[in-house]
Amino acid sequence: MAGKSGRTIDATPKTSIKSRVLSWESGLIVIFIAVLIFGSIVSKSFTFSNVLREMPKYLSELFMMYAMGFILVIAEIDISVGAIVCLAGTMTCFANRAGAPLIVQIIVCIGVGFLCGCLNGVIATHFQELPTMIITLGTQIIFRGIAEVSMGSGGSVSLSDTMGFAKIGGMVGPFPIAFFLIIIAAVIFIFVLSRTTFGRKMYAVGSNRTAALYAGIPVQKIRQICFTLVGTMAGVCALFLLATSFGANTTTGQGFEMDVIAMCVFGGIATTGGKGNLVGATIAGFTIVCLRIALGQLNMSGQTILVIIGILLIVSALIPGINQSVKNRRKAIAAK
Amino acid sequence: MNQKKSLWKIITGSREVSLLLILIVMLIVVQILSRGTFLTPTNIGQIFRNNALTMLMALGMLCVMLTAGIDISITSTLAFTGMIIGMLQKRAGFTNTFALFLLAALIGIACGFLNGLIISKGHLAPIICTMGFMYIWRGLAYVVSNNQWASGADVAKFAEFGKDGSVGPYIILIIAYVVFFIVMKWTTFGRRIYAVGSNADAARVSGINVDRVLIQVYTIMGLLAGLAGALSVSIYASAQPNMQYGKEMDVIAACVIGGTSMNGGRGSVVGTFLGALFYAVLAKALPLVGLDSIWQNLIKGVVVLAVVLINVLTQRTMDRAALERREM
Repeated sequence: MAGKSGRTIDATPKTSIKSRVLSWESGLIVIFIAVLIFGSIVSKSFTFSNVLREMPKYLSELFMMYAMGFILVIAEIDISVGAIVCLAGTMTCFANRAGAPLIVQIIVCIGVGFLCGCLNGVIATHFQELPTMIITLGTQIIFRGIAEVSMGSGGSVSLSDTMGFAKIGGMVGPFPIAFFLIIIAAVIFIFVLSRTTFGRKMYAVGSNRTAALYAGIPVQKIRQICFTLVGTMAGVCALFLLATSFGANTTTGQGFEMDVIAMCVFGGIATTGGKGNLVGATIAGFTIVCLRIALGQLNMSGQTILVIIGILLIVSALIPGINQSVKNRRKAIAAK
Repeated sequence: MNQKKSLWKIITGSREVSLLLILIVMLIVVQILSRGTFLTPTNIGQIFRNNALTMLMALGMLCVMLTAGIDISITSTLAFTGMIIGMLQKRAGFTNTFALFLLAALIGIACGFLNGLIISKGHLAPIICTMGFMYIWRGLAYVVSNNQWASGADVAKFAEFGKDGSVGPYIILIIAYVVFFIVMKWTTFGRRIYAVGSNADAARVSGINVDRVLIQVYTIMGLLAGLAGALSVSIYASAQPNMQYGKEMDVIAACVIGGTSMNGGRGSVVGTFLGALFYAVLAKALPLVGLDSIWQNLIKGVVVLAVVLINVLTQRTMDRAALERREM
C-alpha cells in the first residue's frame, strides 16, 4: 500500500532469492572478484600471500570505516578523523620517545582519539543548530594544529623504540594481526548496526531525527556515542598506521576522512542517513584495498588510483537514484 | 514600526559590521604589537597576493553554499587546470598569457558544469559528487604531470603576470569582487540563487528552474577554480600536481567566518570578502606578534570554531528576545 508520502509499507519482509541476488552487496562481491581477477592478470606478484603481506599498509583505514558508517547512518558527517589520526599518532610517538611501556602507548593512542571524538560529540550535541560538517571542519584544523605545534618546526616525529609496534604490525601465520582485528571489528559493528536496538535507533535517528525524538529515542546520546566512537576508532587506526610507518608528520592521515567516507558510500551507505549497511561497506573497503595493492604492484603512480576511486564513488552513488527513477516511471506507466 | 536601530543592534545584527569592527580592532592591536611595522604597503600587498586564490574561490564557494551545497573539488580542479597550463608551457612552449588564462577558465567551466549536471539531474548529495571529482581531477593532475613539475624557466613568461609587484592578481581580484557584488545584489540571477538556497521547493513553485540555477552555480565555481589554477601557476611560478592540497577547507572556512550559512540562503559578498581578509590578516599577523608560524593552524581552527559557536549563541539570544517581545 502506498502511504501518503508515496512510500510503500510492506508487512512481509523482502528476503526473496531474487532480491538477495540483485542486492547492492552481491554487486559489490562481483566487483571484488573482478578486481582480484584483474589483479592476478596484470601483476604476477598478485598472489594470496603477497596480497596479505602488503595489506597492513592499507588496512588501518578500515577501522575508521565502520565507525564512519555509523556516523553516516545517523545522517551526520565527520571530516576531522584524518586530523585525529595525525594527533593520536604524534602523541603516541612522544609517549614512545619518553620510554613509556607499550600498553601505555596504546592507551595514549586510543585515548587521544577518544577525547577528540568526545569533544566533537559534546559540541555537536550542545550546538544542534550547527551542521556537523562545520564543527568537524573547525576541530579538524585545531587537532592538526595541536599536532603541528607539538611536533615543532621539524614537522615530523618518529618512534625511538619500534619493537612493540613491529609486533603490532606483525603476522600470525600468513595473516597480518590487523586483518584479524578488522574481521572481529567487522563482526561486532555489523552485529550492533543490524541486530541490536541501538542499531535500529541509529537508523531511526538517521531517517527522521524529529520523529525519532518524539518516539522517545535519546537522539543526542546516540550522536554523542557515535562521534566518540569514530574518534576512538581513529585512534585505533593511528595505532596500526604507526605499526607500518613508525612515525608521524604533519601530513599523516591527510585525506583519510574522504577515503573512509568514499568507502562507505561505495558500500551503499547514503550520506543522507538511514540507509545502507556495513556488510556492503566491508566488501567495498576490501575491494579498494585490493585495487590499491594491484595498482601498486604495477608500479603505477599511487595517484592514478584516485581517478578510479572517484569514478567508482560517483557511479555507485548515482545508481540508486537511477534505479529509483526507473521504478517510478514503471509505476507511473502501470498506474495509467 | 519605524524605530531607529540602536548602535548595539546594528553591530550585533549585521555580520559584516561586527566582522569589520573585529578586523579593525585586530589591525590596531597588531599594528601596536609589531611597533608600526605591520600596515605597510608591501605587507598589505602581500596579504592580498598570498591569499588571492582563497579570496577568488571564496566567491564561488559563496554561491555554492547559498544554494545549500558544498564543493570540495575546487582545489583538485585548480591543480588539474594548473598542471595543464604548466605542461603546455613546458612541453609545447605555448606562452601566450591571455590564451592560457582563457584555456584555464574553459577547463574550469567544463569541470564545474559536470559537477552541476550530476548534482542537479542525478540528485546526488553535493558533498559526494564533488568528493568524487576531487579524486578524479587530482588523479588526472598526476596523470598530466607524468611525474614532472613545471617550474622556474618553464613558466618564466607566464609568471610575469603574477610575480611580486605585478598588478595582475589584484586586477583579477578587484574585477571578480565588483562583478559578484553587483550580480549577487542587483540582478535576477543573484536573487534566484538566494531563492533556491532559502527554499528550493518554494523557488520551484514560483517558476525558477532550480536545476538550471544549480548548474550555473557550480559552473561559476569551476570557472573561478580554473582561473585560480592559472593564477596559482603565475603567482608561485610552478605547477605541481599536489598544489593547494586540502586548501578547500580554508575557502569554506573563509566563507563561514564571513557569515555564510551552510544551510543555504544566507551570506553576502561583502561578508565573504571580510571573512577571507580576516583569515589572511590572521595568517600574516601571527609571526609579527611573535608567534611561530606552526601556531597558525591551531589559532585559525580556534577562530573558526569560536566564530560559528558565537554565531549560534547570539542567534539564540536574539530568538529568545524576539519571543519575549511577542509574549508581552
